[in-house]
Amino acid sequence: MTVLLEVKDAVRAFGPLRAVAGVSFSVQRGELVGLIGPNGAGKSTLYNLIAGAIRPTSGQIWFNGRSVGGWQPFRAARAGIGRTFQIPKPYRHLTVIENVAVSALSHERTVSAARRYCEAILEDVGLADCAEAPVSILTAGLLKRLEVARVLALRPSLILFDEIMAGLTSTEVRGMTELVAALPARGFTVIWVEHVLYAIMKAAPRIMVLHRGQLICDGSPEQVAKDPAVIKAYLGEEMNLA
Amino acid sequence: MRSPSPARYGPPSRWRVLPERGTVSIFELGLFAVALTMIAVDLPQTLQDVIIQTFLWAGLALAWNIAGGYAGMISFGHAAFFGLGAYTSTILSVHYGITPWVGMWAGALLAAGFGGALAMICARLRGPFFILSTLAAAEVIRMGALNWASLTGGAEGLSILPVVDATNMVFASKTAYAVLLLIYFVAVYVLTKLLEGSRYGLYLFAARDDEDAAGAAGINLLLARTSALCLSAFLTAIGGSLFAQYFQFLDPTHVLSPELSFQFALLPALGGIGTAIGPVLGAIILVPLSELLRGYLGSAAAGLHMAIYGGVLIVVMLYFPAGLAGALARLAVCRRKGTP
Repeated sequence: MTVLLEVKDAVRAFGPLRAVAGVSFSVQRGELVGLIGPNGAGKSTLYNLIAGAIRPTSGQIWFNGRSVGGWQPFRAARAGIGRTFQIPKPYRHLTVIENVAVSALSHERTVSAARRYCEAILEDVGLADCAEAPVSILTAGLLKRLEVARVLALRPSLILFDEIMAGLTSTEVRGMTELVAALPARGFTVIWVEHVLYAIMKAAPRIMVLHRGQLICDGSPEQVAKDPAVIKAYLGEEMNLA
Repeated sequence: MRSPSPARYGPPSRWRVLPERGTVSIFELGLFAVALTMIAVDLPQTLQDVIIQTFLWAGLALAWNIAGGYAGMISFGHAAFFGLGAYTSTILSVHYGITPWVGMWAGALLAAGFGGALAMICARLRGPFFILSTLAAAEVIRMGALNWASLTGGAEGLSILPVVDATNMVFASKTAYAVLLLIYFVAVYVLTKLLEGSRYGLYLFAARDDEDAAGAAGINLLLARTSALCLSAFLTAIGGSLFAQYFQFLDPTHVLSPELSFQFALLPALGGIGTAIGPVLGAIILVPLSELLRGYLGSAAAGLHMAIYGGVLIVVMLYFPAGLAGALARLAVCRRKGTP
């Protein structure tokens, strides 16, 4: 296995607040890594650093052998870093399939080819029936699926999922978990931020815990669930994984 | 995964009754037929004048819409591009004897360059701040035209000698101008329709609707916006050159005023921003309305025509916030839902 993403001592300060305060980790190609932590822990800021939405104050981010810290988002996206947004960001005036096709245009030449490419993806996430509908009809849960469809259509090597389960029904969570768990086998490397713990603990073989801008734990779900620091910071009580 | 949505939306087919993105509709073809008929039949000069103005403004509003509607860069400074086109072709023709058939392309390139520079500097500004920057940029051009009198004639303006000569784009009949401006309008419309269905068009829509998501999808926002304003400025300047040849006179008040800039934004706003048919509908309704009201009421009750004009604007904006095209689009969606 080769290292796809390496974050070295990344720091991002907003004034006196260090939202990300010296985080280092690496992710191997084909891994599925869960990233958990309380609100305000710095998860979204860390994503923004990796995806180029904000510059690191200090530290380095290596992706696929290139230093990507401070790149613009579109360059990071073209280099193979895909992300979803915690609050869905649909293109309001486009149809569902057009929303997804915009991402597919990064590798497909024509709009019709991009649309064809996206049909299978919409099928995967369960949006095939509303392909030609305006996004305005989508409910919160369906908008989350749209976010997932868009990042899959980009065909990135690394996917950063940001709370794609929030607000979904338990049936939807099950379907989405299956979808995410199957991604490494399809050639994607995934980092997954989630508050729906039973889903992420079951699906991800490796969990990282972020607290106050620092990684306080990095290991298997069993290790994480028993870790006293994690229990104190986030879980509140020892988690029963059975 | 199973989809919970009961309604199934079919893919768009090739032919539609009402205008929709990416297809040609019977409505549009009908409008084109009406436009052709208007040229073919013998109308009084004043009416011909209204028709020519309508074609010109339909083309100009469409050109504005590429930046303001599709790329989301609402500009209150398009008079700058219009004026650059009008002045460039006229100066080249009057001072250097270069035919406007060539000069209008020079003006268009100059305007595109100015638009590109403006976008590079100002495209990072959002909403009202971008709007104000375009307004200011246009004022810079107007001041330049006013004060560089040796080149532009200053406040007195420039006249084009009315010597009929097709090689210098001066025609005897209004019909010739009507044909010329219809070609302009249809060319900009076809370009707009092609853009809507293209990869570039989707990129513009995405950048307009959500810049974070567009960036994450690999879209270079600055490049998309800059090129959109370049294209919009280029097409606007061509319209400016054609207007100068038709009007045969230009001064800063006629071709560079802020009022002119507002007109650019007003027509698409009324017809429907961000659609191809919207700016056309805006021009078809507002241009004749304003010309005819001025013609019939201008002398009898000074100012009344502006009051009526303003009243119509308010009513349309109140009841059709997405413009007339928005109302048409709702109709089209209703029709589509009805069919499996």
